[in-house]
Amino acid sequence: MSRLFAIIDASVRGQLGLLTIHRMPGAMPVVGKYRLIDFALSNMKHSGINNVAIFPYGNYRSLQDHIGSGKRWDLDRRADGLFVLPPKNIAAPTEDMVTFQRMHEHIEYFQRSNQDYVLITQANILWNVDFNVILDHHLTTGADITEVVHEKTRLKTFIMSKKRLYDYILNYDTIPYKTLNDVVEQAPSLTISTYIHRAYVRYVRDVFHYMKANLDMLRFDRGRDIFLANRPIMSKEKTAPPVRYGKHANVTNSLLSSGTIVDGTVRHSVIGRDVIIKRGARIEHSVVLNNAVVEQGAVLDHAVLDKGSIVKQGTVLEGTLRDPYITQKNQVVTNQTGMRILHVAAEMTPFVKTGGLADVLGGLSVHLAKIGLNVSVALPYYPVIKARFEEACQTVGDLVLTDRGNQRKVKVLRTTYKGVDVYFFDNFHYFEREAIYGHDDDVLRFAFFCRAVVAALPMIGPFDLIHAHDWHAALLPAMIKGQMTPPKTLLTIHNIDYQGLVSADVLKHISLQQLGKVHNGKMNSLEIGIEHADKLSTVSETYRDELRYDYYGKNLTPAILKRERDFYGILNGISSKHNPERDPVIAARYGLSTLEKKALNKRHLQRIMKLHTNPGAYLIGSVGRLSEQKGFAIMIPALERIMKAHNDVQFVLLGTGDDAIKEALLTLQKTFPGRVALNLTFDATEPNYIYAGADVFLMPSRVEPCGLSQMIAMRYGTVPIVRETGGLADTVSAYDSYTGRGTGFTFFDFDVDALVQTLETSYNVYKEHPDVFRKIKRRAMREDFSLTRQASKTVELYRLVLETQPKETSS
Amino acid sequence: MKKHVVAMVLVGGRGTRLGAITQHKAKPAVTFGGKYKLIDFVLSNLAHAQIDTVGIVTQYEPHELMHYIQRGASWDLDVNDGGVHFLTPYTTREGTKWQRGTAHAVAQHLHFLNAYNPELVLVLSGDHVYKMDYRRMLDHHRASGADITVGAFKPHDDLSRYGVLSLDEQDRVTAFEEKPDAPASDLASMGVYVFTRTALENVLKQGVGDDLDFGRDIIPKALKEHYRVCGYYFDGYFRDVGTVESLFDANLELLDHPEYLKIHDYTTHPIYTRTEDLPPHHNMSPDRVRDALVCDGTMIMGQVEHSVISSNVLIKENAFVKNSLIFTGVKIGEHSRLENVIVLEDTVILPRTELVYDRPTVIDNETLWKVGDDR
Repeated sequence: MSRLFAIIDASVRGQLGLLTIHRMPGAMPVVGKYRLIDFALSNMKHSGINNVAIFPYGNYRSLQDHIGSGKRWDLDRRADGLFVLPPKNIAAPTEDMVTFQRMHEHIEYFQRSNQDYVLITQANILWNVDFNVILDHHLTTGADITEVVHEKTRLKTFIMSKKRLYDYILNYDTIPYKTLNDVVEQAPSLTISTYIHRAYVRYVRDVFHYMKANLDMLRFDRGRDIFLANRPIMSKEKTAPPVRYGKHANVTNSLLSSGTIVDGTVRHSVIGRDVIIKRGARIEHSVVLNNAVVEQGAVLDHAVLDKGSIVKQGTVLEGTLRDPYITQKNQVVTNQTGMRILHVAAEMTPFVKTGGLADVLGGLSVHLAKIGLNVSVALPYYPVIKARFEEACQTVGDLVLTDRGNQRKVKVLRTTYKGVDVYFFDNFHYFEREAIYGHDDDVLRFAFFCRAVVAALPMIGPFDLIHAHDWHAALLPAMIKGQMTPPKTLLTIHNIDYQGLVSADVLKHISLQQLGKVHNGKMNSLEIGIEHADKLSTVSETYRDELRYDYYGKNLTPAILKRERDFYGILNGISSKHNPERDPVIAARYGLSTLEKKALNKRHLQRIMKLHTNPGAYLIGSVGRLSEQKGFAIMIPALERIMKAHNDVQFVLLGTGDDAIKEALLTLQKTFPGRVALNLTFDATEPNYIYAGADVFLMPSRVEPCGLSQMIAMRYGTVPIVRETGGLADTVSAYDSYTGRGTGFTFFDFDVDALVQTLETSYNVYKEHPDVFRKIKRRAMREDFSLTRQASKTVELYRLVLETQPKETSS
Repeated sequence: MKKHVVAMVLVGGRGTRLGAITQHKAKPAVTFGGKYKLIDFVLSNLAHAQIDTVGIVTQYEPHELMHYIQRGASWDLDVNDGGVHFLTPYTTREGTKWQRGTAHAVAQHLHFLNAYNPELVLVLSGDHVYKMDYRRMLDHHRASGADITVGAFKPHDDLSRYGVLSLDEQDRVTAFEEKPDAPASDLASMGVYVFTRTALENVLKQGVGDDLDFGRDIIPKALKEHYRVCGYYFDGYFRDVGTVESLFDANLELLDHPEYLKIHDYTTHPIYTRTEDLPPHHNMSPDRVRDALVCDGTMIMGQVEHSVISSNVLIKENAFVKNSLIFTGVKIGEHSRLENVIVLEDTVILPRTELVYDRPTVIDNETLWKVGDDR
């Protein structure tokens, strides 16, 4: 009987992409026949722990289904046993580990547990460990808290007295720490002991570690650390027949689970249960989960096939170790080359641009065409386009639409741009205006545009899939449903703040009266799109998750929650032209191997912006719109405090927008002469001299669906300081002082103190540990935010839209 | 607790014709298809027929079986009312009730049946390989108004090994002959019987004497005494693997004729078995395993062809295994060569050992001692 009771923290979503849409990380199948949580539970069993509580994240049905009563791990007991403690407040955002507040929701459990010590560990660690050894270590050192670490990885696993944890939980609302991680990092007067676990560990928090966790088991020395005869890993009992090798099987260094039939080639891969690998199929460096089928001639290289996926004849799926090709549960993947895609949007570079959407679509469509898709784009024919591109356009044909009793003519024109067919829709009444947006009849204008696109399909089509962007194109999925054999539709939400609201009587003019929901007499274009598109996406995975909460999703939260299982997040990429090695406008070009030249850019920046030319100054850069969303409410007071505290902190900003923010910035400049430089014009100047010259890049946004500046800054070796929200959370991994890892500095609470503390930490690393700071820089520069990555993820999503089978319920 | 049907599974047989394979275990505990034991087939059939009250009538080396079956959880037989009961020989004031035959064994445990008061009793052997839905046979029994129904199949081999029965048009058994020299029909008894309980009690009560065996004694007697004895023809795959050859052949049939037992097409009638906590097998060989069944926990560095490999087996580099059955825990050293062998549990084969035979041959650590003597 152990003196420990255990908390398994399964509350963290991790970054497992498609794999965790329908399950939580703890329920992830791994190494063929296991689920990740089997390792935690088996370790508990072998450590004699029989009081275990699991704190699950979101959808834990498949986890519950797997663990059942806990009998397999001897946890179906009269006294103590296994407890699954779900969140009472589903809407609470998730942290990097389970919070004291969440534990407080189940305070009775902690009251009832009568063991003296508590173990807190994660559901997604693959290891084989005796927790009693760690408890011995804890007792011997007499520490307040013992933390478990493996090489450079902190395992978010702790042992402490129950009394101490209980105190934290009881006082969760008055102590400054939300999680044990905060306590260990910030509590000043505690003795923290570190226990180093030397045998193999894999802490599975993203797709890369998931691949490694599986493929590492193909190494005898690693597998031997995990699969011990006297401490077996136990899993839900299932019966499957032995693996059957056919006469043409060709298997080299692979793990194959029961029930599988293999008659093809398998190399360096891990195959789950009941998989069928047909003759002539080839699988290399891949992870194949239960019940998948790989047909003749299909090739998998660095892929993860989720349960029940079917890869049809001759289909090639290729990825990398860091970015494997991932299929979704029960997806049928066919050999789709030359998919025909039509993008529908209000703007696209180089034709017309008012915001980020234009750049995203310009970059994405060209890249998709480059990798072999048939890509078309539909845009309204604004005067700005006409002025510059009329020469390059040919007329495709004319349409006549009846619109509120008027016959309106639409001329369709066409040009090609870097392999993309661009169709323009010309109508005098609606589009022949100087400003693209901002008219009273905007919703009518874009509804008309959508109708025109639908009517033009026979002329410009056919298409397999229509990719609609933002509210302007959001009515299209609903409109197209009336068509014979309509193409599939995907709606991407770039910005949820603009929804296309208009008085509901418009619905009858655009023949959608049966489809549109009406709130307070208004119809909402984006909401109609969310309801009717076959799949939805947005610009980062974290933002996708955030939109489920009212704080971010606002009025559309219910509509989004309803479509949760069809909603995906794909991070935007940045163009390869953002490259300090080839940038023509910066003072000195540099790359990973010539990073010291960045100092020249810093001097240049200080000089042209009239800052003190101090090479040792800590120079904070910022570029972007001056709007409340960008977090100026905390940024300006925080800057004031850090600049007061250290007189070698400098700040440079380029941007324009809100006047009140401008005023506040100018005041800051007056307070710190020679240390604050502002360019409030957003002139045509490339902001690259700031990306190249600053030491850190500040982006404490309150809301940030994706964000591109932080990616550009990272490529320029400028260390980002960001709030953990939306795309910022997905692109910047937090620096950890213990392991030295990370690509930037992050904080979660939208709060001045949190930002000041993060700025202090980064200042300290910059000043006191230049070698560490340099490593962070280099790591940031190596991150892959390319358009290529975005395009290949988008193709994966297109395949999903085109290939997903009718919904079914099994896990 | 009244039950409509109770099953009596006879697992007491020694299986002498299997030699060393059953030296330390009852025949139903013998490995089949790498990861199964023979008893799995009957227990899985019972699970699928939703018959949850089972008496396991045991005598010879019962420990391994008892340990294996436990409360029957792996076959969903761990129910609160009913479940698995081990019926072992016991002593009373009249003396020790040692079992002298299949019918004699069931007769010792009539009091077990009384506790559940069933209308029908299904009598089964624990050492046959087949997938059968007993409910159909029970329905047939009821529909034909029989007192006794005998399961019948068409053997693929020598009929004279079996009890041969002839049926009339109403499926009534007209003749029954145990191990006949000149079989009168091509139907043989499976050793699967349905008894109406009163009929079973009557024939057994009369028969305590020299009538010890269902096939040899009880069925002919019931016919003579004009009980209504019917046959139920089972047209599925059925093997009585009583000899080394038949065990060997039935195992390799899993490879050569997957359509017979359909173990990989198990969505409707899977064979349940109790599994250990073993990782997936690790095939480290460079493309050297073909036409084989391989179980969890095994590591293969060598070459395998047309063989069935159980769990936790280690086949080292350049070892070659062909046409063989390798049972759990066997270690095969480098450069060894095995052909037409059945290697029993935990046998250690040293490097460069040559075990090549024309006919299936059983190998264990003891026979390995003697290998040198032969040559």
